[in-house]
Amino acid sequence: MAFFITKDCTGCTACQRICPTHAISGEKKQPHIIFDPACIDCGACGRICPAGAVADPFDRMALNIPKKEWVRPVFDLDRCTACHICIDACPANALDAVLQKVKDLHPYPVLTREPDCMGCGFCAAECPLDAVILEKNSNS
Amino acid sequence: MTPPRRNTGFMGKIMVVDLTVKTIETQTVSQQIYRSFLSGMGLAAHVLYHNIPKGADPLGPDNMLGFVSGLLTGTGSFFTGRWMVTGKSPLTSGWGEANCGGHFSPAIKRCGVDGIFVTGISDQPVYLYVDDTTALLKDAGLLWGMDTVETETQLLKRYPGARVACIGPAGERRSLMAGVSTDKGRMAARSGLGAVMGAKGLKALVLAGNKRIGVHNKEAMKRISRICSKWVQLQPPFLPGFLTAPVGALLRTMPWVFTQDGLLYKILLRKWGTVSMNQISVEMGDAPIKNWKGSSRDWGFFKNLSANPDKFTKKQLRKFHCYSCPLGCGGICTTTGRYPFTHKPEYETVLSFGGFVLNRDVNTIFDINETLNRAGMDTISAGHVVAFAMECFEKKIITLQDTAGMALKWGSPEAISWLVDQIIHRQGIGHILADGVAKAAGRLGQESHAFAAHAGGQELAMHDSRNDPGFALHYSAEPAPGRHTSGAWLYYEMYQLWKKVAAAPRIPLVYNKARKYETTSIQAHMAKANSQFMNVMNGAGVCLFGGFLGARRIRIFDWLNAATGWHMTPDDYMAAGTRIQTLKQAFNLKHGIQPKNCIVKGRPLGHPPQARGANKGRSVDIKALTRAYWEAFGWDTETGKPTDRQIDAVTTVL
Repeated sequence: MAFFITKDCTGCTACQRICPTHAISGEKKQPHIIFDPACIDCGACGRICPAGAVADPFDRMALNIPKKEWVRPVFDLDRCTACHICIDACPANALDAVLQKVKDLHPYPVLTREPDCMGCGFCAAECPLDAVILEKNSNS
Repeated sequence: MTPPRRNTGFMGKIMVVDLTVKTIETQTVSQQIYRSFLSGMGLAAHVLYHNIPKGADPLGPDNMLGFVSGLLTGTGSFFTGRWMVTGKSPLTSGWGEANCGGHFSPAIKRCGVDGIFVTGISDQPVYLYVDDTTALLKDAGLLWGMDTVETETQLLKRYPGARVACIGPAGERRSLMAGVSTDKGRMAARSGLGAVMGAKGLKALVLAGNKRIGVHNKEAMKRISRICSKWVQLQPPFLPGFLTAPVGALLRTMPWVFTQDGLLYKILLRKWGTVSMNQISVEMGDAPIKNWKGSSRDWGFFKNLSANPDKFTKKQLRKFHCYSCPLGCGGICTTTGRYPFTHKPEYETVLSFGGFVLNRDVNTIFDINETLNRAGMDTISAGHVVAFAMECFEKKIITLQDTAGMALKWGSPEAISWLVDQIIHRQGIGHILADGVAKAAGRLGQESHAFAAHAGGQELAMHDSRNDPGFALHYSAEPAPGRHTSGAWLYYEMYQLWKKVAAAPRIPLVYNKARKYETTSIQAHMAKANSQFMNVMNGAGVCLFGGFLGARRIRIFDWLNAATGWHMTPDDYMAAGTRIQTLKQAFNLKHGIQPKNCIVKGRPLGHPPQARGANKGRSVDIKALTRAYWEAFGWDTETGKPTDRQIDAVTTVL
């Protein structure tokens, strides 16, 4: 099951550029296609598509959302155990483990490459302790 | 249209790479294989049994090397970031396995497979690159010759965010003590499988996949994980480091002991890491000293203060967590040697280059740790070889002529550093020693065989079987001999399996220490349960230290059911552990290994018994132990051979 692109695609290449698994191909100004086996259902293509030409695996049209309104992870360090499951789950490689607490040498996750974050929420979905909270970008 | 994503915890596929003809293909694995052997080591045992032809040269094209991830890796469970390297070991010529943490394990599954199996030999050095859409063999000519840290750094510059496993110069030179490195110094070190990788011309694996790992019941996974996390976070303040030695002394002198609870061990690991055991182990007789001939009296409290765990944590800049580990026993430390940083040396390394060679210089240990990590060499085997060489020098089997004038005196930091460099570069005496103590004894001859401590060719670890005879049994009778993680009486106590598994013998809360040295059917069934459970953990990708929490605190069986959707009981999973053990034993028999020839001999068994120290007067009746152990599995008690019916049952699963 994967996202797919409808005939409304204008070939702007925005989805192709943001796809973390390089699953989208197509010429500029030509309809693009998603290579099913490589799609991980992060939904970034749908959020970024200005033509609203992307449908999710349940045939619902994905909603175009301005990038500044995409959700970002915030980490609750009182719950976090520094297990790094969220860091591995991030398909955009936007998180890093960084020392944060005084007198605590455990490196906790931080969104170090915020522009790369696609708001997919995999970090929050994977966290066993619900220590990742998704919030709208503070700049929005 | 792709099929719906698999929500079973495992990916259902393996990747097979043939380096000779440069082909890469994925193969589907049946659900029945996973039910019978789980994933990880069990899956590897199945694949390698059927794909490595009888009599294959471990360093030849027919050997197959498997890099496998655990069934629970990436499922939202804790302590499940272990990955394993498997193959026919050039050290033992039989089943070879090495186990490692870091962040490489989920990377295998994120490429859409549970294991990557490599066969053939490449005519040019290559590395394997895999991402979501491609799998390629790329030229590694420029990487060949680089150490593990340099190799990983170069590859990560090119592929940011990828995970890398690679060999160093030791593997390239086919040292039989070579391992495979990841995270710039975490090593899958044992069984000499780095030499197999080097012989194949495979420098590294670079994995950059992003596939999702689906599970049957995500909420149940999280609920069980929260129970586990609660116990891990329980961390009362503990002793200063130097007081760990009196704790060990107390454990040594008490005739009656409490069943050891792994929660205490967890507290030590969280505070210091494995170095917490440096002093306790020496005092209680768990650490072999001076190539197994010394005792705690030769390496007493004041000498051993050099291994005070606080000395190691003082150099720690930050802790190192493997994937999905809430504990974080590792660390990144500063060093004063040739390199600015190193992973915190593990207990095995500290003892191998500390008490085992009578070295009190901690800075040398840090330096050698990083040197060996960069070379891609096993610190346990290397420490054994250094101690062996020092005893050879003492007995004039190795002379100053052989060492270019370097006196190999016990405890000399200069001699140890020099010898390690010689071994890594296979120069001079290092060429004789670079393939482990068994091969070195064969080359040096004379009486050196008497003090070359190994099991079936593999060096033993830093846990003294005279203190815990369970180690002697598992060193001797496991399909991959000489490994300390396979089992021990102590491990059994901490697993607390009797709380979940009907057939597991219950240990009384307090018992007389003499009980440890008996050979009864209870001991045999404890050992059997140890092997079964370790196979389940290796199939699931669970860390040994996670298992120490106890079966009710880390609910591995419940996690497995929640991840896969199966409804198997703990006893069903233990039966899978038996099948994996039988299959690995069948692998050895197929390749001409006689299990009885892997039995440890001499000093590590207390033959002759020590005259002083923590293990004074103790000896292990290993023959009685192995007989009872094999009987518990229903195997031939003299030869360790499973019945034809048992072998057929595990080799005909498809």
